[in-house]
Amino acid sequence: MTSLYDWSYWFCEAWLVPLMTPLLYFQEHIMPPFSNPAGDMARWMESDPGLNILAWTIVVNVALMIGFTNVIIVVYLERKIAGRIMDRRGPMLSLSSLKEIASDLAGYAPEYNWKTTTYAGIGILQNVADGIKFFCKEIIVPDKADRLLYTIGPVIFISSSILLLVMVPFSPRIAASSAPLGLLVVMAAFSIAPIGVLTTGWACNNKYTLIGGMRSAAQLMAYEIPLLLSMAGVFLVAGSYNPMDIVAQQQEVGLLGFPMWNIIPQFLGFIVFIVCILAEVERVPFDLPEAEAELVEGWTTEIGGLRLGLVFAAEYIRGFVGAMIATILFLGGWAGPFLPGEIWFLLKVYGILIFFIILRWTVPRIRTDQILLLGWKRLLPLSLINLALAILYVEVF
Amino acid sequence: MAEMWIHMGPQHPMTHGLWNLRIKVNGETITDAVPELGYLHRSVEKIGERRKYFMNTTLTDRLCYASAMTWTHCYCLAAEELMGVVAPPRAQYIRTAVLELQRIASHLMWLGAYLPDLGLITGFLYGMRDREMFLNLLEIPSGGRLLYNYVKIGGVKRDLPPGFEAKAERVMQTLERRLKEYENLYDNSKIFRMRNDGVGVYSASDAINWGITGPNLRSAGVPFDLRQADSYDAYPELDFEPVTNTAAGGGSDCFSRYRQRIDEMHQSMDLVRQALAKMPEGRVMADSVPLRASGEAFRRTEDSRGEALMYLVGDGSDRPYRWKIRSPMFTTVSAAPHFLKGYKMADVPAIMGSLDMCIGETDK
Repeated sequence: MTSLYDWSYWFCEAWLVPLMTPLLYFQEHIMPPFSNPAGDMARWMESDPGLNILAWTIVVNVALMIGFTNVIIVVYLERKIAGRIMDRRGPMLSLSSLKEIASDLAGYAPEYNWKTTTYAGIGILQNVADGIKFFCKEIIVPDKADRLLYTIGPVIFISSSILLLVMVPFSPRIAASSAPLGLLVVMAAFSIAPIGVLTTGWACNNKYTLIGGMRSAAQLMAYEIPLLLSMAGVFLVAGSYNPMDIVAQQQEVGLLGFPMWNIIPQFLGFIVFIVCILAEVERVPFDLPEAEAELVEGWTTEIGGLRLGLVFAAEYIRGFVGAMIATILFLGGWAGPFLPGEIWFLLKVYGILIFFIILRWTVPRIRTDQILLLGWKRLLPLSLINLALAILYVEVF
Repeated sequence: MAEMWIHMGPQHPMTHGLWNLRIKVNGETITDAVPELGYLHRSVEKIGERRKYFMNTTLTDRLCYASAMTWTHCYCLAAEELMGVVAPPRAQYIRTAVLELQRIASHLMWLGAYLPDLGLITGFLYGMRDREMFLNLLEIPSGGRLLYNYVKIGGVKRDLPPGFEAKAERVMQTLERRLKEYENLYDNSKIFRMRNDGVGVYSASDAINWGITGPNLRSAGVPFDLRQADSYDAYPELDFEPVTNTAAGGGSDCFSRYRQRIDEMHQSMDLVRQALAKMPEGRVMADSVPLRASGEAFRRTEDSRGEALMYLVGDGSDRPYRWKIRSPMFTTVSAAPHFLKGYKMADVPAIMGSLDMCIGETDK
């Protein structure tokens, strides 16, 4: 049982298919044979490609569930931490406050006391309220928009972001796939999203969205090369693209007598990687495509309803995956004493995410020309220096 | 990309108020800009000609929603000159104190509006939080939090209650502590400096030629302050010098305008302390204020945003025959295309935000 995919393949082979195929064969017997595909379906399910696709369906659904559970937690954390930074409390509505609100709305509130009745809770219901709002909104396609591209753009953005979840492992036990090219494939999938942004920006027939899409493409030019170069140092040291090997390499006892995570020898690379991944996931200070001060809402100006909700969720998923990759590359992945690996992994990932959140509410946004300047004049040389140091490290030790 | 016109406004996050800035961009670089005003025109001057002199303070309060006290005060000074009334000394000191408190509140509102323009929404909450303390302070004598109607022709509406000084001192000490925090958060932030240094530059001579006044002029290094140059109320008896700032390469840029307003807050707190300490005893309203007036009068004061000027003509009746308001922001916005050209599109909110726009008084 090396990965989630193997587990689901076994699950399909041992439980799902044996339970379902008798039903289908029974159906084939009672219905006319020529018009009934049930038997064909059963035979396909028993074959290897059928089992494969069933297993993948389960894997993708599990990844989606894990991803969206974490999105809810990250959104909640973002709101609460932002509230605390801004000297306010953040969302307060939770299940315990529903009773107070209900009695208040019903017009009678025998126990109402203006000093103690605050509706105060931990605020988790705010996410539910947001979700319901997104569900209830009408989807409006702007007049003169390119309907096909307008629909495809957000789909590219959302689906490529969910694809990321499948390819990054939580631990050796919870891993959907183990591609030999591992993290390189993840970075390739990461770079699909700007195409969706550019497409939507152009298709909306709106100047703000157009400029937002163009900025996304310009930003891609700035961060992609330093990002990959800063990862190259880690790949060199580990001798592999595979997350499992990279984490295993970081567990080897180094010079100082304890497992040396890559953040210590390659601190420069870590800094470059964090800055570039911030630009990759388009968070402040690099959220130029949706700079709300000058571009209203940037490339999402014309998107509405559930589509917008999913785009927001996809942005948080990208942030989450970015933190996961940083953890795997530089912070020793799921390694740690006493606790299970998954807990350690999530602790490290949330540490990085909280850093992202604090950064978002502390610094202003930078300009398009400045991000190009930063990418080409600062981050690129730094990542090259880091790569040279990594080569030296590999050669000497 | 071909050049295109983009509307920033009338409903756009960049516009604090209701106006339209059309910019022509080549890619992201601005090649032309046209400000369009008039969406919020309420014909205050014409309405004022149909109302009695003392009724017009209600209108002047609504000229600028962030700085109501200073505009009413400017009108009252002009009307007092027209009628030949002088406010008693205590009223003059009270006016000075509340004007400076209003200036701090207005600058804090600007600080809160400026940082979201740069992409930092936390700054909005901080600015509003601190402004709240000053609104509470202004509520004590006037009873209002946004529109005070406190300064009257011939004095002020009510005397300051006992204990006002102690409350003001506590609030100002809190603000001084917070301003130190903001200097750590903003001045020392590399990204804040990148967005501000050398953006929206105009020279001192250009600013004078274009008619830019107030903090925007002083931030170019011109020590011109109407509180000193054409002094009124208790300002001649107070000890202060106009504060100025200049950009690194001379002239005024976004950062020097930011520093200018922070420095003016410090200066205003000093002035409030002086005015409250030197305050004489006595009445707060002139003995008699005539209802009718004739002749003409004009007074200019240092508003939170620049030089506010009121021109009144009376024909012997109880209503003004003609009333003209000179708004400082109108001239500043008119000059905006000159210093918008050549900068990036993301600089538009920074430049226009650093000027401290208030559309209420611009459109009148």
